[in-house]
Amino acid sequence: MRIHEQRHGAVTVLKVDGPVIGTDADELKDRLLRAQSDTLGRFVLDASGILLIDSKGLEGLVDVAEEMTKTGKALKLSAANETVRQILELTGLAALFEHFEDANTAVRSFL
Amino acid sequence: MGIENVVKRLTPRHRPFAQGESMVAPVGFGIVGILLAVIGASAWWVLRTQRASVHATRLDQAHTVCNLLSQSAEVMMAREELSSLRRLVAEAGREYKLTQCRIVLPSGQVVADVHPSGITFKKLPPSWSKVAQDVPAGSSNDHIISLNYPLDVPGRGAARLELTAPVTYPSWSQWEGPAGVGAVGAAALAGLLLVYRRTRSRLQGMGAIREALISLDKGEAVPGALAVSAHFGPEAGAWNALLSEKEELRKQIVTDRARESVGYKNETHRDLAAACDALSHGLMIIDQKGRATYLNGAAATFLQVDRADALGKDVVDFIQEQEVVDAIRAGFSGSGFRRTSVEVDRGGGTSGVLRFVIRPARGTDSVAAVIIIEDITQQRVAESSRNTFVAQATHELRTPLTNILLYVETALEQGDSDPALRDKCLNVINQEGRRLERTVGDILSVAEIEAGSYQINKDDVRMDEMLEQLKFDYEAHAKEKQIKLTFDLPPKLPVLQGDRDKILLALHNLIGNALKYTAADGQVTVSAETAGNRLVVEVIDTGIGISEEELAPVFERFYRASDPRVAETPGSGMGLALAREVVRLHGGDVTVRSEFDKGSTFTLTLPLPAEAARDEDPRTATRSGHRSEG
Repeated sequence: MRIHEQRHGAVTVLKVDGPVIGTDADELKDRLLRAQSDTLGRFVLDASGILLIDSKGLEGLVDVAEEMTKTGKALKLSAANETVRQILELTGLAALFEHFEDANTAVRSFL
Repeated sequence: MGIENVVKRLTPRHRPFAQGESMVAPVGFGIVGILLAVIGASAWWVLRTQRASVHATRLDQAHTVCNLLSQSAEVMMAREELSSLRRLVAEAGREYKLTQCRIVLPSGQVVADVHPSGITFKKLPPSWSKVAQDVPAGSSNDHIISLNYPLDVPGRGAARLELTAPVTYPSWSQWEGPAGVGAVGAAALAGLLLVYRRTRSRLQGMGAIREALISLDKGEAVPGALAVSAHFGPEAGAWNALLSEKEELRKQIVTDRARESVGYKNETHRDLAAACDALSHGLMIIDQKGRATYLNGAAATFLQVDRADALGKDVVDFIQEQEVVDAIRAGFSGSGFRRTSVEVDRGGGTSGVLRFVIRPARGTDSVAAVIIIEDITQQRVAESSRNTFVAQATHELRTPLTNILLYVETALEQGDSDPALRDKCLNVINQEGRRLERTVGDILSVAEIEAGSYQINKDDVRMDEMLEQLKFDYEAHAKEKQIKLTFDLPPKLPVLQGDRDKILLALHNLIGNALKYTAADGQVTVSAETAGNRLVVEVIDTGIGISEEELAPVFERFYRASDPRVAETPGSGMGLALAREVVRLHGGDVTVRSEFDKGSTFTLTLPLPAEAARDEDPRTATRSGHRSEG
């Protein structure tokens, strides 16, 4: 798994490439929590490159989403593929996130 | 008014009976009364039945005597045995204690009588009237039974037997039955009293419970007044236990209601706190002394403090922004809080711009002001971008427009006399017109991207054909600038799924920029290869390069590097931004590596369709196909 960081104005887009499995989940969670702290929640997780996510990865995303909920924010996911969307729907976790078709739309949602 | 009503009307203090007696006494008196009535009725009935029996026995006896005497008298009178007849009548009168017994002829003459002095006819005539006298068959009352039996004396005539028997009731036996019944009744009464004495305590308990129920119905609620003495037995204990339970339940209900009331308030507070935590805006409440009494989650994040630590502290201790602290202090030092808005730019990095809105909270004693914190960084960036866009767009539109107007004026003034000058003017007008068209096109694209309406129309994109087209387009321009333009392409490139015009626009911008910022005798190389599931196109130039600190913002719209050589070169600052937006819409990206004064490498990556990615084995991917130079 690789995480690319891009800036769109005041918004940071974190693009994840590769499956989020095993220890990748901890790395992703730490990176997302750091982004939340650094950007005051102005960041987007571009999930277009996430081909697969396991239970530990989901748990990490849920932890970050719940942490953001405490501050009135939501974890914005963009371009999640069908597999990831189905996993989130089937586990009932989709409501914890804001979903966008692409990263640009997600960035515009901060306006 | 029955005794029940009397008892009901009596208050416990004025009851004539001890506790519980109100039910016991009426029950006891009632039972005794009923028993006495039953005994009296039974005695009367026995006496009546006994007298009727004596009367009936005497009547039967009288009829039997009459039957015997009448049969004997008819035979004896027919044979004229009067002496025997008279002895028989006298003996019957004595034996059966008859007050009258005689045989009378139709003429009224007495032939035989129980009293000899009553005989009026000594000797019978040979015959007499056969017609019997019409007299009643008999009559009876409680004391006398009178019977008249007709006689038919064969061969002589009719006669009549008159019999009167007194009914005598033996005085000793007349009261025997009632006395027996009375004795039995007295025994029953005694038994009943015994049972009553034994069950009285229990009945008293029940009576006491009944009295308590009546008091309860009348509104008595003091448990002590409703309690029943324990010596009345287990019923009293059970009743007292019920009263205790009722009292406990009452207390429990009162307690529960009080708790519910308090709990509702707490729950309301919790709901409100949860609702405030769901706000994306920070919310902080400060009291009259300037201490924080509440922070929601967003406020704690914006102020970068721990909520638990911040509560109760003076806000100036943890708010770092001096402008905000000053605004709060002004609220306390002056005539009170006024609505104030302070924007704080935390500078570079990722902290951004925060807006603090301080509002007075009126009508409450414990709350002085509410501070709302809003992250407006992205809005400020958008505003800045918009301002830059307007300024740059104005500039970009005005420059070619000025040139066009200038050359049109020149052509109009001198074109007729100098055809060469006119052609040059037209050529410049044509170039500036195209530049204007591109600028307008870029502005429209930027506007569409901003509005979210910039869409791609996917179709098959043959990358080899597109790159060949680009090579053809830029060969002359490169030759004109004396730049060596090389296309290093494999013999076969996969077919992509994408918007051909927009991908072409992105590549135009990358190659055009490379040629634009590369001096004469420089070199621009365009290469393409497949790597895994991606197509990678690199545009490498030996141009002016980009300093390290300007690498990140180079893709921002309208950004132009501070290098003076860039300022001398016409450009809108939108090319790279558009190229990256377009490629990102296709799921790819554009990145840059550069070294100042030595050149730059822009890398464009685009995802391959699944089939194309399978066909392209990364181990066999090559960039050593054909190399063509412009």
